[in-house]
Amino acid sequence: MTQSHILSAFDRDLESIQALVMRMGGLVEAAILDAAEALETRDEEMAQRVRAGDKAIDALEEQINAECARVIAIRAPAASDLRTILTVMKIAANLERCGDYAKNLAKRSMVLSQMAALPGSTGSIRRMAKQVTLLLKDALDAYIARDARMAEDVRQRDQDVDQMYNALFRELLTHMMEDPRNITPAMHLHFIAKNIERVGDHATGIAEQVIYLVTGQLPGEARPKIDSTTAGGQGA
Amino acid sequence: MNDMRLTEKVVTETAKITARGVQVHYGTNHALKDVDVDILDKTVTAFIGPSGCGKSTFLRCLNRMNDTVASARVTGRIEMDGQDIYDPRVDPVQLRAKVGMVFQKPNPFPKSIYDNVAYGPKIHGLARGKAELDEIVETSLKKAALWNEVKDRLAAPGTGLSGGQQQRLCIARAVATSPEVLLMDEPCSALDPIATAQVEELIDELRAQFSVVIVTHSMQQAARVSQRTAFFHLGHLVEYGETGHIFTNPTDPRTEAYITGRIG
Amino acid sequence: MTQAPAKSLLVPDARTRARNASERRFRLMGMAAVAIGLVALVVLLVSVLGNGLSSFRQTYVTIPITLDAAVLDKSGNRNPDEMKKVTTLGYGKLMQTALIAALAEKGVDTGDLKPKEIMGMMSKEAPADLREAVLSDPSLVGQTITFPAFATSRIDGYFKGRVTMESAARDANINPEQLALADRMAAAGLIETRLNWGFLTRPDASELRPEAAGLGVAILGSAYMMIVVLVLSLPIGVAASIYLEELAPKNRWTDLIEINIANLAAVPSIVFGILALALFINIAGLPQSAPIVGGLVLTLMTLPTIIIATRASLKAVPPSIRDAALGVGASKMQTIFHHVLPLAMPGILTGTILGLARALGESAPLLLIGMVAFVRDYPSAPPEGLFDPASALPVQVYSWTQRADPAFVERASGAIIVLLVFLLAMNALAIILRRRFERRW
Repeated sequence: MTQSHILSAFDRDLESIQALVMRMGGLVEAAILDAAEALETRDEEMAQRVRAGDKAIDALEEQINAECARVIAIRAPAASDLRTILTVMKIAANLERCGDYAKNLAKRSMVLSQMAALPGSTGSIRRMAKQVTLLLKDALDAYIARDARMAEDVRQRDQDVDQMYNALFRELLTHMMEDPRNITPAMHLHFIAKNIERVGDHATGIAEQVIYLVTGQLPGEARPKIDSTTAGGQGA
Repeated sequence: MNDMRLTEKVVTETAKITARGVQVHYGTNHALKDVDVDILDKTVTAFIGPSGCGKSTFLRCLNRMNDTVASARVTGRIEMDGQDIYDPRVDPVQLRAKVGMVFQKPNPFPKSIYDNVAYGPKIHGLARGKAELDEIVETSLKKAALWNEVKDRLAAPGTGLSGGQQQRLCIARAVATSPEVLLMDEPCSALDPIATAQVEELIDELRAQFSVVIVTHSMQQAARVSQRTAFFHLGHLVEYGETGHIFTNPTDPRTEAYITGRIG
Repeated sequence: MTQAPAKSLLVPDARTRARNASERRFRLMGMAAVAIGLVALVVLLVSVLGNGLSSFRQTYVTIPITLDAAVLDKSGNRNPDEMKKVTTLGYGKLMQTALIAALAEKGVDTGDLKPKEIMGMMSKEAPADLREAVLSDPSLVGQTITFPAFATSRIDGYFKGRVTMESAARDANINPEQLALADRMAAAGLIETRLNWGFLTRPDASELRPEAAGLGVAILGSAYMMIVVLVLSLPIGVAASIYLEELAPKNRWTDLIEINIANLAAVPSIVFGILALALFINIAGLPQSAPIVGGLVLTLMTLPTIIIATRASLKAVPPSIRDAALGVGASKMQTIFHHVLPLAMPGILTGTILGLARALGESAPLLLIGMVAFVRDYPSAPPEGLFDPASALPVQVYSWTQRADPAFVERASGAIIVLLVFLLAMNALAIILRRRFERRW
């Protein structure tokens, strides 16, 4: 809706909430990238910073929820405004979960830094992290631009992340079969990969909210799912 | 479409009033342009829209109150239960007994509470004898949720009641002629929030007996009390549909702009 | 130009001072205007009351009169028809004898005055009054009654301070010796000044007998006219107003009628008089000086006022009441007669009464239809009485002020007081009715 409200304070409220969401998105993206880098470079200090940074993300979510509650109470939003508020609250919840995953990633990277490295896998994880942060960023850009097509694109690109996860899953399985001593780091790395894959799912969730916001309808069940790890054909 | 379920439900309900191609001119002013609408039986229908959009004009077409405005000219077809209410054989006085009306400002007659309610039944000869009239007055006041407050002072002037009570008295007065449709022209705009809530509760109860059509400036009120909402803009009926749908996901951008407070 | 704001709220700046000063000036001017109005009113009231109040009191010569049967009823059968043969002159002689006897009995010194001069102190109306009293009650004949007879207006004026010894010396109608005798008679209790109901009940009297003149015929005439005005103008006015306000289509014709009614209210009343003379007397052949004609012309005059007042009060009924009635299914007529008219009633009644009050005080048109004629006979009861000649209060004032005898100045002022009392009473009635019918909605 390009037209502004007659009551300009309403516009300012919505804008300030939007700014909070953007800031939260930025923090989450940075946390995921930093955690992945800390994993690869075994930088415990950086991992520690990421863990500490999650508090700020949680605080932002709380602030966004409080703001939304206030807007609902005093502005009684309807139609697209109502959908905006509902969307923002869901996006904030999604982002908060992503922040938790980043924190978990950082925690596991601190454990992994005490062990022998598994060759190649941390690089894959970093590529994966890069890919999901891109998804996250695009989903948030789609929200800002109220661009349903861009959001649909994010939904489709989540498949790439799923494929990366599947590849990594097989790679870690190979490591574990080769040498049982690899099992502990491989398990940690698998959880990390799974968490990053979950971030991708949250990005998809945000994209779906954007589609609801713009069209008023949630997309149907046509969502592509390429998680072959649960298909049972891999001998897991 | 996600609201298929809702439209399905609507189709099974019967239309009480059907309007087709209704146009209203006030002199040279084209106030209402080609309005098609089905008012459902035993349903609250809200008309919303900015001032001068034609919603009150259309409401006053439904009981031919526009007849009293010399310059008004109504064309098109409005049917109630399949009968054209603008047929020359229809006496508007008789029609108005079937289509009651409640106005923006509480306007009780400067007479006693009893006489206010009894007036309609009296002029339409609905009661044989005093006992029957007493009964009509009592049931009407009960329907308007006013009986308990005024039963001890029926002879007191209606104008001495509080604003909310006055408006409920007006509703009782309208209900007393046992109408089939109740038209309400911004019935709460002169009331405080508590009185408004009481009237809204009343509207919800009355829905069991007649179809209620309410014009309101408060979109929240339309959302609260109605099942169907019609949005008028510049004399056009822009959108008409299930209230929940209109307020979460209107189809027309003008409706969207109006209910989100972007056009006046 | 923007000025720097005052530093302290406690010190008014130049602008505020100037504004306050102009406010004070305006208030003073207003008070001065009210004061001028009040002074004018007080002067008017003082002059009218000062001149007129005394007309409600009158000087009487009260003497015992023996009504000799041999003089008054020669046949002796007390038949009023036969007794009518005795004229006022006969009663005058009887009275003169009684007066002289009474003076002698009380030992009042009559000086050099001849009996005729002594009798000249009595009103010429007195024997006529006595004759009337006897004819209306023949059983009085043969008795000795105490009869209060009017003194002449000169004697009356002397006791009210209007006539002095100096003015009497130059007056052909009275001489100072008569006044001196009057003083002695007052001392002996034969002359007294007291309340005179006759001023309100008696008919007009001739130029020579101001002491006997009363407002009876004028009050009756005015009352008859008011009845005619009320009966005609209220229904016609209200009906016309309802039609114009509620039923008539708003078009060029009704606009024209509306403008004409407004203009009619401003037409000088004398024009209505000419109209009435042509229409009612010359064409319709109604009698002159009759209250019916006066009532008709005043109806014509009052109608626009009533119509304007009624339309205004119909307009003042909130449209929400009409909507309410129509919404319940009342017809147009039911709406008007059940709801609109009762609410407009206080305004209509006020307008009507004010219109009547204006009609009551109107004299110009009545002059033209001959109501200024000298009428001594009371009109009979309505409806026949409406066609009998009568006078009217304002016209009576007018005709009295035309007369030469200064005693009529007092009478005219007295009549003005009566007129004012009637007007005040009508206005008070208007206020009471308005209060009574006034309802909040």
